[in-house]
Amino acid sequence: MTAPTTTLTDRYVWAAVRTVPDAQRADLDRELRERIGDASDALVGTGRAPADAERMALVELGDPAVLAARYVDRPLQLIGPRYFLTWWRLVKMLYAIVLPIAAGAVLLAKMLSQAPIGESFADAFSVAFALAVHLGFWPTLIFAILERSPGRAPDLSWNPDMLPELPETGRAGRLGDLIASLVFLTLFAILIIWQGYGAPVVNPIGETVPVLSPDLWSFWIPWFLVLIGLEMVFAAAIYAWGWNWWLAVVNLLLNIAFIVPALWLFTTGQLINPEFLDVIGWPWGEAGGVVTTIIVFGAIAVTVWDVIDGVIKTVRGRGGSALSLGRI
Amino acid sequence: MSMDDTTAGHLQELRRGTVVLGCLVRLREPDYGYALLESLNRIGITVDANTLYPLLRRLEKQGLLTSEWNTDEARPRKFYRTSPAGEQLAGILTADWKNIDRALARLTSGDER
Repeated sequence: MTAPTTTLTDRYVWAAVRTVPDAQRADLDRELRERIGDASDALVGTGRAPADAERMALVELGDPAVLAARYVDRPLQLIGPRYFLTWWRLVKMLYAIVLPIAAGAVLLAKMLSQAPIGESFADAFSVAFALAVHLGFWPTLIFAILERSPGRAPDLSWNPDMLPELPETGRAGRLGDLIASLVFLTLFAILIIWQGYGAPVVNPIGETVPVLSPDLWSFWIPWFLVLIGLEMVFAAAIYAWGWNWWLAVVNLLLNIAFIVPALWLFTTGQLINPEFLDVIGWPWGEAGGVVTTIIVFGAIAVTVWDVIDGVIKTVRGRGGSALSLGRI
Repeated sequence: MSMDDTTAGHLQELRRGTVVLGCLVRLREPDYGYALLESLNRIGITVDANTLYPLLRRLEKQGLLTSEWNTDEARPRKFYRTSPAGEQLAGILTADWKNIDRALARLTSGDER
């Protein structure tokens, strides 16, 4: 207590005026005292004790900070309806684009520098986390400042050209995907078979050297060829029915059936024909480890993206591109 | 939301503009916040203090009211008075109010469905 004469009204008025600009303080001070005084006088007139009346009048006025904000037209929300959607679209787009790219880049860089796998993932995660905090904080801060700055809003008005295309629900929209898948899978199968007989790599005595280890013909090469056949059936199923959760799961299983044995064979040195490696002079000194890492990383990235793409298309209930982020 | 809240919300919306009109007409004679609050409520234009006081400030900012501090008494009071611009607006609002009233009357009687 600064002085014995300090009243609740004094404290209320001070709490309210300290949050408004200097120029408006004296005026608001007088207005509030008038309002509180008149209100409590009226309550005293109905038979209440002056102290109770003052307290009731202040309760009626409510939080002084809210009251002061109303007086000076200060927004009571961080980001109001004027900017909310713009802010929300920006943050979603940043998270969807910047986060995966940054995390992937850190992971790749760490693996290339031969860091242990656990450490690589931990670093990628911590970078992604720090980045997520920054990507959330800075746009929000800027929009909160915009919300509080006077003057007209920048022209962010909506127009009909921004309307998204309707999802392509018919088969016609998926025909392109089907053709692309079938052409790619056919070429892939031809490549696997052709490398065993007609590959352009020859040893010093002029014999053709297969790229893949010939031992794999006993089981793994047929396995992969069967998988390619199943992928073709799968592509036809997508064309016929469109994406759904069953097909998204099948897509996941097909990807696992392909990538797990392929990476196991590759990393244990069973995939590539040792004679082929001799011909191309593998390992290329220091570069060998880097190339191996990039191949493993790339294969995993493509697989993960394919699975995610399936899920996104399923969620959107259409066969269109999954890259139309930001349209929302 | 209960039925009563819905009704109260719509009533509040319907009355919002009438408070402005009530102030502009009533303040042709200068008066201060609390007296205005009392007299509006007495004649049936219901408004609470948390709406009225900020509204007076806003109308003053828009040039529809002018204000003057009266320091003759122990408690200084801010007296508001309708400005010429406020008078003009009051005329427009009153005319519109009467139009709406007539339109609603026609709707109710079923004349020009």
